[in-house]
Amino acid sequence: MIQTLRRSWPGVPWVAPTVVLLLALSIYPLVYSVKVSLIGPAGFSLANYTRLVQDRLFLQALAQTLLYTAVALAIEFALGLALALLIDSLGRGRAFFRAGLLAPMLLPPVVVAVIWRLIYTPQFGVLNGTLGVFGINTSALTWTSGESGALASVILVDVWEWTPFLFLLLSAGLQALPQEPLEAARMDGASAWQVFRDIVLPLLKPVMTLAILLRTIDLLRIFDQIFILTQGGPGFATETVSLYIYRTAFRFFNFGYAAAMSFLGLGLTIVFARSLMRVMRVPRVSK
Amino acid sequence: MRACVCIIAAVLLAGCGNEPATLTIAINAGVEGDALKTAAAEWGARNRMRVDIVELPYANLFEKELLDLTSRTGAYDIIMMDDPWFPRMVENGQLAPLEKQPDADFLASCLDVCRAPYRTGAFYAVPYVGNSQLFFYRKDLFDKHGIAAPAAWNDVLAAAKKIGTAEKMYGYVMRAAPGNAVITDFMPLFWAFGAEMFDSNGHASVATPEAVECVRFMLQLGKCSPPGYTGFNADEVSGHLLQSTAVMSINWPAWIAAMDDPTRSKIVGKIAFAQMPSARRKGVAELGSWLLGIPAGSKYRQRAAEFLFWATAPEQMKQAALRGNPPTRRSVFIDPELRARFRAFPAQLASLETARPRPRTPLWNEIENAFGIRISQANSGSITPEEALHRANQEMEAIVQRAK
Repeated sequence: MIQTLRRSWPGVPWVAPTVVLLLALSIYPLVYSVKVSLIGPAGFSLANYTRLVQDRLFLQALAQTLLYTAVALAIEFALGLALALLIDSLGRGRAFFRAGLLAPMLLPPVVVAVIWRLIYTPQFGVLNGTLGVFGINTSALTWTSGESGALASVILVDVWEWTPFLFLLLSAGLQALPQEPLEAARMDGASAWQVFRDIVLPLLKPVMTLAILLRTIDLLRIFDQIFILTQGGPGFATETVSLYIYRTAFRFFNFGYAAAMSFLGLGLTIVFARSLMRVMRVPRVSK
Repeated sequence: MRACVCIIAAVLLAGCGNEPATLTIAINAGVEGDALKTAAAEWGARNRMRVDIVELPYANLFEKELLDLTSRTGAYDIIMMDDPWFPRMVENGQLAPLEKQPDADFLASCLDVCRAPYRTGAFYAVPYVGNSQLFFYRKDLFDKHGIAAPAAWNDVLAAAKKIGTAEKMYGYVMRAAPGNAVITDFMPLFWAFGAEMFDSNGHASVATPEAVECVRFMLQLGKCSPPGYTGFNADEVSGHLLQSTAVMSINWPAWIAAMDDPTRSKIVGKIAFAQMPSARRKGVAELGSWLLGIPAGSKYRQRAAEFLFWATAPEQMKQAALRGNPPTRRSVFIDPELRARFRAFPAQLASLETARPRPRTPLWNEIENAFGIRISQANSGSITPEEALHRANQEMEAIVQRAK
C-alpha cells in the first residue's frame, strides 16, 4: 500500500507531515470552535449568535474597536506616508533616520504598554511631570485614568508604536518606484504636488493597500496594549472585542459565546479586506 | 536499523517504569506564593520527592488552573486558589475532597470558604494565606488634628476633608479600575450601608435605596481622591500612601511591610491599621484568603494531601508568616515572637475573625465584572448612581438566569 502510494504520488511523504500538522492545529480547532459556538444548553442552537445583537456591552466593545481602528489607522497612515516622503527626499542621513524611526516597533507591545502606563500615571508619571515643568496645569490631565480621554490615550500609544511599520512599508514602496515617469513629469513642468497626486500615489497603490490591510487586521484584534494599560477601563471606555472575548472565554469560561464573537470578528475582517481590495482595485497578477 | 529501534524502545520503556514521582504545585507569583515555594523545596528534600513549582501571575493563574481542572489533565497536584474562585473550581467534582478535616485552630472565616456547600459541606481545600482587608490611615496626621481613629464612614469622609485640606494631601484614595479592583474596595462600603448583592431567592438585588446611598457616598469619597482614581489599582493606591500624598485607604495585608520599609516608604511608622468603618451596619472587611486544594485529576493525591497538611501545620505556618504571609491559624497570630515582629497582627486577626467572603457562586467572575463596570462608570461620572445600579442589576440577573 505504502509502496503504491509512493509510486503514484511521490510527493505525499514530503507534504504529509505539514498537512497532518495543519489539520491537527488549525483545521480541527476551527471546526471544533464552530461546533462549540452552535451548542446551547439543549443541543444545537443559534443562541450564542442571537445573544450578540442583544449584548449591550459587546456592541459597545465592537463600536469602540471600530473607532479605535479607524482613528489609529488614519493617523498612522498619514504620519507614515509623510515620514516616508520626508525621509525619501533627504539627500543624506536616510539610514540614520530610518533606523531611529523603527525603534518603537522593535519593542514588544507589552513592554511598550508598561512604559506608557508609567508615563501616563497622573500624579507620578513623567508626562504630567514634564508638562508641569512648563507651567501647564496637569490636575485635569488623567490620560488613561479618565473615561473621557482613555481611548484617545491608548490610540496615542498605538500610533507611537506602529506608525514606523507603515513608514517602513511605504518607504520601501517609494524606493521601488520607477524613476522614469517621475523624471518625465518633472521635465514636462509638473509641480511637486502634481507629481505626488498623479504619479506617486497611483503607483504606490498596491503597497498602500497591503499596508492598510495588514495594519487593519492587527488593529481589529488589539489586545495586549489595552490589557496592560487600562484592562478595558475606566468603566468600559477602552474595552475592545478581543478583550471581551478573552474575558468571556478565560475568566467566565463561556467558550461557546466567545467562539461566536470570534467568528463575527473574523467575518468583519474578511468583509473589510474584500471591500478594501475592491476599492483600491488591485489588479490580479496574471501568469 | 532494527537494533537501533529496539535500543530506543528499551530506553523509553525503562524510563517509563522508573519515572520518579513529582509533585507539581501551581502558585501565585507574589509574596503569597514565595513562602509556599520555600516550604515545597524543604518538604521535597525531606521526603526525597521532586517538587515542581509552576509560578503564574494572578491574571493567568485562574484560567490555567481551571483548564487543568475541567479537562482533568493532572498537570497540577496542588493548586493555590483565591477564595472567590473556589465555588467555580469545586464544581463537578473537579477538586478532590480532603480525607482529613483541618483542625479547629484555623480561623472559622477561613475554613468556611474551603467547604462546599459554603460553611456546611465537605472540605476541599485548606486555607494557607489569611488575607482580609484593613483600613490604613495616617495616625500621625489624625493625632496632629486631634481626630480619633475612624469608626464610621462619615468619620472617614469628615477626616478626609479636614486633613486633606489642611495638609494639602488627598484625604482618601481608592481602587476604582473596573472589575475586581473597584468591587474589592466597594464591598466593605456596600455591606456597611446595608446593601446586599442577592436576595434570599438568589436574584440580583443591587438596585436598592441602600445601594444608591452607598454609591453616592463613594462619589463623595472620590472627590477627596486623586484625579484619575477611576483607573487606579492596588499599586497606585499604595503608591499614594507610600509617597505621603494620601491620608487613608482600604488595603490588603500584603502592603503592610512596604509601609514600614524605609527604602520604599516616606511614612515609616506613621500608618495605623484599623477595622472597616461602619455605617448602618457594623463594618466588615472582605475576605481574600488563598487556599490550597488537590485537583481530582492529580496522579499523586495521597502525597499531595501529605504536603498540604504539612505546609499548613502551625510550625510551617509560622515560618510562612516570618516570610511575610498572613497566617490562617489563631495560634500563629497570637505567637509572642510574631506579635513582637509584626505590629499589625492584632488588627489582622480582628479583621479576619469578622471578614466576609464574596458571594459564594461559581458565576462570581462574570458577576463581579458586570457590577464592576457599572460602579467604575458611576465613579467616573458617565452614568448616575441610580442608572449604574439599575443596569448592573439587570446584567447580573441575566447572568444568573442564563446559568439556570
